Amino acid sequence: MGTPSSLDTSGHELRPLPPAHGVTTSSSTLVWLRAREWSASVWVWAVIAAPSEAVEAVVRGCVVVGVGVSQDIADTREPFQPRQSLPSIVSIVQRQQPLGLWYARDVLASEHLLCFRLSMSPRPPGDLNPRRDPALDFPDKDLSEMSFEDYERLGFLGGLEVHQQLSTEGKLFCRCPAGRRVTNVDAEVLRHMRPTLSELGEYDQCALMEFKTRKEIVYLLDRKTVCTYEIDDTPPFPVDLAAVKIGLQIGRLFGLNLASELHVMRKQYLDGSIPTGFQRTGMLGLTGEIPFRVPELGIDRKLRIRQFSLEEDSCREVSDVGHRITFRTDRLGTPLTEVVTEPDLKTPWEIQAAGRLIARVARTTKKVCRGPGAARQDVNVSVAGSRRIELKGVGHHRRLPQLTHIEAFRQLNLLRVREELRKRGIDAPPVPEGRPFAWTSSPLVIEAGALVKRSDYAPLKDALDRGDTVVAVRLPGFAGLLGRRTQPGITFAREFSERVRVIACLTDRPFFIHSDVRDYGLGPAEWRALHSALEAEEEDAIIVVWGPSGDADTASREILIRAQEAHEGVPSETRQAYLDGTSGFERMLPGPDRMYPDTDTPPLPIRDEWLAEIEASLPELPWDREDRYVKLGLSLLEASELAAAPWADLFDEMEVADKRVARRLAHAFRKRLPHHARQGRMALPYPDRVKPLVRDLESGTIRLEACDVVLDEIMERTSVPGSELLAPFRRTTQSSKTLDALIDETVKAAAALSNRPKDVLIRWAMGKVMPSLLGQVDPSEVAKKLETALASFFKKGAA
Amino acid sequence: MSKDFYKGYREPCLSLMKKNEVTVWCELIAKTTRGDFHGLLLPRSETADPEHLVLKLDSGYNIGIRHDTVLSLEKVGYREANYKIPEKEFPVDPEKPRVRLFGTGGTIASRLDYRTGAVIPAFSPGELYGSVPELADICNLDTEKLFGVFSENMGPEQYLILADRVGEAIRDGYDGVIIGHGTDTMHHTSAALSFMVQNPPVPIVMVGSQRSSDRPSSDAAQNLINACHAAAHGEIAEVMVCMFGPTSDRYNLLHRGTRVRKMHSSYRSTFRTLGDIPLAMVENGVITPIDDKYATRRLDREVDVQPAFEEKVTIVYYYPGMLPDVIDALVDKGYKGIVIAGTGLGHVNRKIYPALERASAAGVALYMTLQTMWGFVQMYVYETGREILELGVIPLANMIPDVAYVKLGWSLGVHPNDLEAVRKLMTTPISGDMTDREPHDGYLVLQGGIPEVQDFFTGVWK
Repeated sequence: MGTPSSLDTSGHELRPLPPAHGVTTSSSTLVWLRAREWSASVWVWAVIAAPSEAVEAVVRGCVVVGVGVSQDIADTREPFQPRQSLPSIVSIVQRQQPLGLWYARDVLASEHLLCFRLSMSPRPPGDLNPRRDPALDFPDKDLSEMSFEDYERLGFLGGLEVHQQLSTEGKLFCRCPAGRRVTNVDAEVLRHMRPTLSELGEYDQCALMEFKTRKEIVYLLDRKTVCTYEIDDTPPFPVDLAAVKIGLQIGRLFGLNLASELHVMRKQYLDGSIPTGFQRTGMLGLTGEIPFRVPELGIDRKLRIRQFSLEEDSCREVSDVGHRITFRTDRLGTPLTEVVTEPDLKTPWEIQAAGRLIARVARTTKKVCRGPGAARQDVNVSVAGSRRIELKGVGHHRRLPQLTHIEAFRQLNLLRVREELRKRGIDAPPVPEGRPFAWTSSPLVIEAGALVKRSDYAPLKDALDRGDTVVAVRLPGFAGLLGRRTQPGITFAREFSERVRVIACLTDRPFFIHSDVRDYGLGPAEWRALHSALEAEEEDAIIVVWGPSGDADTASREILIRAQEAHEGVPSETRQAYLDGTSGFERMLPGPDRMYPDTDTPPLPIRDEWLAEIEASLPELPWDREDRYVKLGLSLLEASELAAAPWADLFDEMEVADKRVARRLAHAFRKRLPHHARQGRMALPYPDRVKPLVRDLESGTIRLEACDVVLDEIMERTSVPGSELLAPFRRTTQSSKTLDALIDETVKAAAALSNRPKDVLIRWAMGKVMPSLLGQVDPSEVAKKLETALASFFKKGAA
Repeated sequence: MSKDFYKGYREPCLSLMKKNEVTVWCELIAKTTRGDFHGLLLPRSETADPEHLVLKLDSGYNIGIRHDTVLSLEKVGYREANYKIPEKEFPVDPEKPRVRLFGTGGTIASRLDYRTGAVIPAFSPGELYGSVPELADICNLDTEKLFGVFSENMGPEQYLILADRVGEAIRDGYDGVIIGHGTDTMHHTSAALSFMVQNPPVPIVMVGSQRSSDRPSSDAAQNLINACHAAAHGEIAEVMVCMFGPTSDRYNLLHRGTRVRKMHSSYRSTFRTLGDIPLAMVENGVITPIDDKYATRRLDREVDVQPAFEEKVTIVYYYPGMLPDVIDALVDKGYKGIVIAGTGLGHVNRKIYPALERASAAGVALYMTLQTMWGFVQMYVYETGREILELGVIPLANMIPDVAYVKLGWSLGVHPNDLEAVRKLMTTPISGDMTDREPHDGYLVLQGGIPEVQDFFTGVWK
């Protein structure tokens, strides 16, 4: 079947298929399904005579798709190519009613998966790890024990989304000042977020989850930093042009294809972090690459940038307790750029290096904010067999390796749980949809207050005293799995309790206990009672959860949802990064369908003049800087260290021409300046105090060995004039006389040490002579002279 | 049909598209001087410039590509689909009150066509139920779309139809009526209905939203839910506006249709009762009266419907330099009624006296209201006022100028050739359009920045 030359698609009406969590098989082995996470758009799948593995791949969002004529179907294990296949799919849908049956006849025998995907907004590539073979037998190892090959075996893939605040006078869509942090509160506003309908009248999973939490969202307002725009009571003002221009400049530095017209979009966030419920954001550029050279990791390739957008920053969270989450609004609306890399990073260290590189590129403009919170990254990680997980809000690059390492193993551990469930031959438990309560509509859930009322487990007793509802949930086939380790010090049960905490808003910890824990909590009698009430088998696990009845209901449903997802492996989540390198559930990963055009903002043409202006004043890029340092005599490693260092500009100001001086100075800066900063001195010296030193080094007036010590003096004795500091280190006409005198003196004093070995003696003598002549004389000359002098002195003495 | 293939595109983009044999909804690769872009070609907004093509990228972002940067457009696919609001059957419960919802064109519930940005209104009960399922817990809802006009295009023609249909709904036995309306002129329509549908036995509730319901932070759902409560279960049988109290998602206020005004272009809490206190608060289904004087719900089906409107009526907003020819021009153009929004207690300058005199002599009905919005017209305090009275200008106490305009149009419609009857109607309070007293808290504009006001705001939701 060729691509039809003209397609009239006006008549094709796509009817959503009956909703199915997972797969339902009809008698004809024709399988209709609609993966949960794709429910936001039109997805039509026909899976025919699929082996279980393939069906499972679809459920987890696999993009194994067969398209075209029937003889091609044997080769369907190819990544979905929307470009090639969409026209033909459209025509199939139009011609064949119902979809799929037409193929069923031809393909049944071939035991292959065939699915059609028809979507108005394909999910961006990269959600699933391209490798589908989890390294289940890989041993648990620490980050420090891992090699590049180890990560390769895991199928580790990472990508970054780097957010960088821009340094502008005002905010992006209103004229409030940007970059002010306040604690004052003038007034408070309370809002709720309601999911909006997607194009098919369905709700985004992430949005729905946020709605389930029934949160009251409170915004703290300070008159000086917030106006009625930020709290969504005034439409946006024209976009801040300064921010657009800085954004374009950064985009240019990343070598991106720049938009010629900026379209402001609304990206939905229902967690309350933005009062409108969406973030205004616009795409500035796409598809670029920058040199990615990290000599210490042996990396010398390109880092591909997928996209680059300009957006408004969100609120700062103040607290999140139960059903109320509170935000401060000072930061809200600050211009922010987001750089998204391709998932090309193959080890945790590469992720860190890439984060640093991206930050450096942005900083070369000198128009970005520095300091805490000014640059934050989300990092995406997957391993073979899993899918992209987003770890959010990592404030510092040095945290990235440990965090992503732990996440890789968490995913692997979840895949192991899935494997175990498979081995046990367990089906995913159904999630009750009935009202009013889960325990009135599902045999897997019971109201267990009466069964545990005599328990002496204090938290549970307190809960019963408070009038909480206690619910027990049976997880078929999960015995022993809840206690499995997923992250350091964290078991699989945490995956459930995090969900419950976030979605059911249970806060009185503990609110949750499970049957894999037997050394505290409920006694054997209570567990037995729960087992029999739930008709649980030996291999089933039980989770007991308590809270107000509405929340307990949400909690029990959520536990079953998470159990279902355990059968899929790694659920699509956004996770919060903790300081210890572990992470916790934050929300479901939103799909691309949460983007809407902002009807309040007209498109902004990007003018050629602006680009010309940017082109004419491009700052030096990190890799160009490195090249310049290499030309100046530094090794590639030294050059890359210097180019990344905070004193790189200071170094440049010194205008060093001499290669030896350049190396020496770079070395001295790297060795001494961090030391002084740690001592609480100013981070960098004034250039005018260092310059005379450099000139003296170049002219040879001060010898290179003195560089570190002179630099220390400059940093420590800030009140002493520079000339006075340098004087003792400069070679003068007196230098050799002084040397001779000192040598004489020292040699005489050496008489008392005549019995010491010669090398000790020399070292001692050098220590006597050199300090006062540092910078003035060549130490090797001094050593030679001393040697000669001592030799002749002792010879004389002996004689 | 052919124009749809290039929806919104003009030259030079149009030729570019034709030359490259692409249309809207084509998935394409655009090779440009600024790099390659892959995406779906979207229709262009008619108001946007003609220079750019709009692509929807896979990431969901839109991006504009200027025609003269394009080297080639390669079509690689075609995707288009129909948009529909999901319909779920509105569950009918015979135990619950019946409410009639009239649509006038403002969007109560809607969702966005995420590619074009067009708002698709949800309106049928099924559509509304799909978007705001809570409604089914309150009442049985029947809907009828009367017009498809924006708020600013609502006018006399629509008032007459609306009044008739509300009267019919009441006679048909509905327990309450809701009118979905754009917010800009909601208070004009609420005034018009207050005069045209008098003494209704059931609540008539006007509702809209300041933030469209395609936004997660929209006020639409809460407004609609509370309006349903007020219409289905409320005891207040008057024409009312049901909109946000504070800007926070807390409660709604029920404002009397003749005393309410939109006071901020974009705030959620934009509607305020002027010169009086609101009728009631609605929160979580509970209606708490604030004012004890209101018409109560009755079981009968009697209602006094008087649809009529004279369109040749205007408001003249007085300003210090006003010249008399403004009034002359109106008289020459055949205007039959002029509401003056005067300064202070109801004043205009002497320069326009002769013009007012001429207007009066020509049989134009002249009425005085206040541009201060709050307070009473009092034309006896100063000589100026007394002089103006002598010119035949009739004071309208504390009637809001917009309400006075509507009332004058209605009065002249009811009594086309009887200025005396018009005068009688105008000066007789109807549905609270004028009150005989203003409570001390009928005027309350808190001044920001003052410490005691700041203190106050630490204790309340703004």
